[in-house]
Amino acid sequence: MAGVTVAIVGAGVTGLACAAELGRDAVVVDRIPVCGGVLGFDHDATRRLEEAARTAGAALHLGETAITWDGAELVAMGQDGVRRIRADALVIAAGARPRNRAELRIDGDRPHGVVSATVACHLAETGVVVGRRPAIVGDGDWARRADAELRHAGAEPIRVRGRALAVRGTTRVAELVCDDGVVACDAVVLAHGLVPLRNVDGAVVDGVRTVYAQPCPDRGAIATAEEEGRRAAGAALAIMRAT
Amino acid sequence: MRTYDVVIVGGGVVGCAIARRLSLTRATVALLEAASDVGEGASKGNSGIATCGAETTPGTLESELILASAHGWEALCAALDTPFERIGTLSLALTADEEARLPHMLAEAKANGVAAEIVSGAEARRLEPLVTPDVRAALHVPGDGIIDPIRLTVGYAELAARNGADIRRSTRVTGAQRDGDRVTVLDTTAGPVGARFVVNAAGVEADTVAALAGGAELSSWPRHGQAWLLDRELGRHFAKSVGGIPDEVTRGVYVTPTTNRSVLVGPTARNHDDRDDRRTDAETLDAIMERGRRLVPSIAPERAIKVFAANRPAGDPVYRVERDATIANLVHAAAIRSTGVSSSPAVAELVRALLEEAGAPVGEDRPDATLALLPLPRLLGHPHPEALVAVDPRYGQVICACEQVTAAEIAAAFAMRVPPRTLDAVRKRTRATGGRCQGAFCQAGVSFLCSAYGGMRPEEVWPA
Repeated sequence: MAGVTVAIVGAGVTGLACAAELGRDAVVVDRIPVCGGVLGFDHDATRRLEEAARTAGAALHLGETAITWDGAELVAMGQDGVRRIRADALVIAAGARPRNRAELRIDGDRPHGVVSATVACHLAETGVVVGRRPAIVGDGDWARRADAELRHAGAEPIRVRGRALAVRGTTRVAELVCDDGVVACDAVVLAHGLVPLRNVDGAVVDGVRTVYAQPCPDRGAIATAEEEGRRAAGAALAIMRAT
Repeated sequence: MRTYDVVIVGGGVVGCAIARRLSLTRATVALLEAASDVGEGASKGNSGIATCGAETTPGTLESELILASAHGWEALCAALDTPFERIGTLSLALTADEEARLPHMLAEAKANGVAAEIVSGAEARRLEPLVTPDVRAALHVPGDGIIDPIRLTVGYAELAARNGADIRRSTRVTGAQRDGDRVTVLDTTAGPVGARFVVNAAGVEADTVAALAGGAELSSWPRHGQAWLLDRELGRHFAKSVGGIPDEVTRGVYVTPTTNRSVLVGPTARNHDDRDDRRTDAETLDAIMERGRRLVPSIAPERAIKVFAANRPAGDPVYRVERDATIANLVHAAAIRSTGVSSSPAVAELVRALLEEAGAPVGEDRPDATLALLPLPRLLGHPHPEALVAVDPRYGQVICACEQVTAAEIAAAFAMRVPPRTLDAVRKRTRATGGRCQGAFCQAGVSFLCSAYGGMRPEEVWPA
């Protein structure tokens, strides 16, 4: 793929802002078949930045999952097969996810029904609820969204204020032990904290010729994400110039 | 009611190994498992090390069965499409006292006929650069391997099923009908099952099953173990399984790569009496991490993807692989403790011989039996993904990004004779949802594929 110099993983606000800055030098891949990431494809900022990236000449390959980076080639998989992208630098703009159970150090039993807010929301959108009375751990965007979507899907979610310590229940979740009391519930939705989502082998930590652009903002902070994308473009250009 | 020549009670690694072995003979075989899948007890919660037997007590049945299994792993795992790598173990001596125990460990290995050597601290660090600079010396056992114990268990069951064994899950044995000194029918939560011979491979429930059948009183109890799993990003750098020096109570904490290159740190060993207790607690996990960091300082809780606990069987004595003293058609494979993965092939062969001695039609193998599963190619680590997509375009559809599990692999899981019926069972067969995000970005997608490929309704995948 002649002329390609920066591969960008993630077509959310950060990745698109980065691509708009780099123009013809940029190739973007995203596992979702539309732009926007967590913000959604129909958001004004998504439309504006996708337009800017395309106008500047960036190539977008949507619905393709980047799997490996060796410092010179990004491999992505999609419905059409394998895409190998030769690049001088890699920008990881893959967004963030709520912390998992191990990262939150929630101990206790391991019954079914402890799920990430991302999963609870995705399922609720299709009318499936992860529990009738799910306890939601966390207070950011994901917690608010899970609360609203589960309520809309017919559940009675409980917002947990304290720090969650342990799950109780053998086959199903029965209760969540917190530092300020015990909550009776039949599922636990994890919506606390955001950590960078990094899934490209070779670029999970300290990838060669890799720039990480994952500001982990809540959804309000579009400007922060855009700025991070532009910063990443500069950092990627610096790597290319140093070559 | 169908009557089988042999009914195996328990679908852990031991019960499934026995089912595979017997499925090669002319006997009709059923396996009854209380849980919704095979490998739901100790078999999915162990350290994933196939020991070659260096540290077993010479002359014991446990030692004999592990040694008899040790050389066959490469061939068996190839036949069962199960990851296995003989990477070797380093047991690190960090103090003068521990160093003084090494010659005894070496002598024990030699008595077992297992290759082993005492190496200097510098040599230990050359063999595995990640180990602590505080290492004074170590026992190196090159014949130990790492294995995927879940894929092994599922592989045993799948091959047995291909050969006609009925693997009946969600089928808990609740009672037994007898005629004189023989069990004739096992009552289960899914109706009665006729049995000419019965094998008790019920793991931590082996004493319960023995009592139901009217057989010998077995002295067994659960031994609780907790462990951490850390990110593949750490595990890909490991060359060896790393352990400490065992004391009287336990083999101690390992820091070992798994076959998919996560890092397992654990397990603990605590005897207790609650078979359903699979709790983890922060205090124990912190202690495990501290012990692990003494061996490999670069591991850190920040890279945790999961913690878990399991109950392995313990007993006094261990390894009750024998015919029951009073029930003529009952064979026990009970009190098989944490080494059950490592001994399972030879345990299965011994159980076959005991059944033959008792009169079961298991003396001869069928010439037409299937001996190997077709290996399923997987995207993770595959050198040439183009070849996969050319065979099945669904390899292009990466569902679980952390573990790079594709729609093709999930479809193949549902095409098995022992298919998944839960999300967790999909994880056990494919690793989907088992990576660093623990399903945050794929669990919904995997659920949809359960519907598409498995015909499961959403409320079956997510029971309310």
